Amino acid sequence: MTFDPRTKLILSFYYSILVLFSYEPLPLVSEWVFILLLILMTGKTKESLRWFKTVAPMAVFFSAVVWWSADVNSAFIAGFKLINIASVFFAFFISTSPEDLGNALVKAGIPYPVAFVMSVSLQFVPVMARKAGNVIDAQRSRGIPIGPGLKAVRYIHVLLIPVLIQSIRLAEELAEAMESRGFGRSGRTFLNEYKMRPADWIAVFAGMLLLATFLFLQRYI
Amino acid sequence: MHYHHTIKIDSLRYSYRETTASPVLNGIDLTAGQNEYILLCGQSGSGKSTLCRTLNGLIPHFYGGFLEGYVRIAGVDTAIRTVGDMLQMVGMVFQNPESQLFCSTVEHEIAFGLESLGLARSEIKNRVMQAAEILSIAALLYRNPQTLSDGEKQLVAIAAAIAIKPKLIVLDEPYANLDPSNVQKVRYALKEICRLEMCILISEHRLHYTLPDVDRVAVIHEGRIVIDTPPALLLPGHVKEYGLEFLLCGHGEEKTETHVPPPGDETVLSVEDISFSGNGIPLLKDISFTLHRGECIALLGANGAGKTTLLKHINGLYRPDKGKIILSGQDTSKMKIPELARYAGIAFQNPDNQFFRLNVRDEISAGADALNCYDAKWIKRLVNLFGLEKLLKRAPYRLSGGEKKRVAFASALASKPAVLALDEPTAGQDARFRHSLSEFLSDLAANGVSVLLATHDLLFAKQNAHRFLLMSKGRIISEGTPGSVIADKTAMRLAGLMPFERMENDV
Repeated sequence: MTFDPRTKLILSFYYSILVLFSYEPLPLVSEWVFILLLILMTGKTKESLRWFKTVAPMAVFFSAVVWWSADVNSAFIAGFKLINIASVFFAFFISTSPEDLGNALVKAGIPYPVAFVMSVSLQFVPVMARKAGNVIDAQRSRGIPIGPGLKAVRYIHVLLIPVLIQSIRLAEELAEAMESRGFGRSGRTFLNEYKMRPADWIAVFAGMLLLATFLFLQRYI
Repeated sequence: MHYHHTIKIDSLRYSYRETTASPVLNGIDLTAGQNEYILLCGQSGSGKSTLCRTLNGLIPHFYGGFLEGYVRIAGVDTAIRTVGDMLQMVGMVFQNPESQLFCSTVEHEIAFGLESLGLARSEIKNRVMQAAEILSIAALLYRNPQTLSDGEKQLVAIAAAIAIKPKLIVLDEPYANLDPSNVQKVRYALKEICRLEMCILISEHRLHYTLPDVDRVAVIHEGRIVIDTPPALLLPGHVKEYGLEFLLCGHGEEKTETHVPPPGDETVLSVEDISFSGNGIPLLKDISFTLHRGECIALLGANGAGKTTLLKHINGLYRPDKGKIILSGQDTSKMKIPELARYAGIAFQNPDNQFFRLNVRDEISAGADALNCYDAKWIKRLVNLFGLEKLLKRAPYRLSGGEKKRVAFASALASKPAVLALDEPTAGQDARFRHSLSEFLSDLAANGVSVLLATHDLLFAKQNAHRFLLMSKGRIISEGTPGSVIADKTAMRLAGLMPFERMENDV
């Protein structure tokens, strides 16, 4: 069985607090190993690798900045905190579909349109990236130098205008399609059931106790 | 509620603006019963899409504007009920596959409308399965819709519409972005749906894809229904008069011969044994061909065969892993992209990807300006060639689809390249546009410009190309004169392109 999306979200926040209040390399590394095991258990190795490739340079850059302004130890800790928090939310997103997240939030009292816009935006990030790629190709094909380099700044509108106009059009077409499928109707039901089972409540409270214990030990020992 | 007609439209007039001037729909009367399968056809700008949008109340509720007359679906007046209320009556399928799906799995996508209706979970699950089985997409239920092919996306959109069990399904140019084999899949699915006691209304301008399937044809012209007849009674004169397209087997054979002037001997582009892979997947394999001055070569193949990938190699957007490309006597591997733009221009499928200037004149010369090779005389010739004289001061985004394409072609040629590559230039365009594009191509050939035409539009390619290169899965599987490639039935089937005869008898 899996937890309700709300439980997963709450646990992710507990975990982030735990990471933020960890100041020693050993706990940070062991926390990360734990999350890594969770990610490996989902079986989505390919996505995880691709994601790690984008996050790792950011963490390295972040630690480099800290190293430059402080010392090696702080740099290591700062970098690991970043990786840790990114990892836990990555684990959350690969194990929860945008609909489940959105619909669970609706159940938690967030208005449906707000939750829905959030989950749809997540869907369309890759679509927009592809569109931007097409615009760059079209402009470079007629000799307009957008791409890496200083000249790119001068020609930034060449990319932004077509992308902006197309995203407005995409939004209009989507709105039309959603409206036609009853987006605005009241009394919506959900394909999946969202219910806090006893196991969910146990996880939420046990997590809270563990976190409190850890923070207490951290403070007084 | 008791009613006699699934669709009943009475003297409908509609204008997108709040005035009665220049109405898009100008006195439409149309009725349709349960179980009828109706084709709504007419050339671009005739009011097809507008009429479709009145059927579930998107017009007037979503678009505003001025509406007069009545649209009743199963006895319900769409002007009085909201679009959400019409959900049980009307299912809509739109033209653009990528902007009508918005969920993370196909299952959620089909379930969305059912959730809107507030059905119980068990009922939602049943209906999702049913709809998926009718359209044979049960295997796709847990896939992300954005990763599907355009044809599969359209099937998902249709499944989402029929799951509701509406009285009427409206499809607004569902074939516009599909290649021939995907068109056949969707056609087949619609035939299945005919058995479900739903009325189907499909808008399309290519009659050969729809006429064999439907019970009735309504031709819309300048906002009026001018013909409403069983398909057998539609006359060739009507087809011509209202700018429709109909490919008849055995008829007009002389018209399908190429009328482009013969090419010269000089080689302008030579592709030598190139291969290319992206993310470890081979996309092009051992491609070789030469293009002569004034020659038009059609790269034919289904969506995903590698046509666009090959075009992007010509001007250096992609670099081959192996092999080389000689363009106007120079090895392209040593040249940068802006430099290559002087030798080869590409007009991609979607002109909206490039417009950023305030008027058409600046838009056409944008590339030439950036390359410092602006030549006023040449630009003027292009403007004449593509008939853009009257559009020069207009904003590019406000043009019609066909006008935008013409601006994009002119802009790709602004730096006087010897080679012009066109990516699916006829997709979603009507007979009028295709006719003028044929004329542009022969003018370009007369000017010594060589053309690479990437398309899955077999008829258009046959009318305009000197030679065919048939592509499938990144390889050239057949090449030669149009006649000889089309005669190679095995290769044509492998490439997913039906020869003409099959369009007639198929499904």
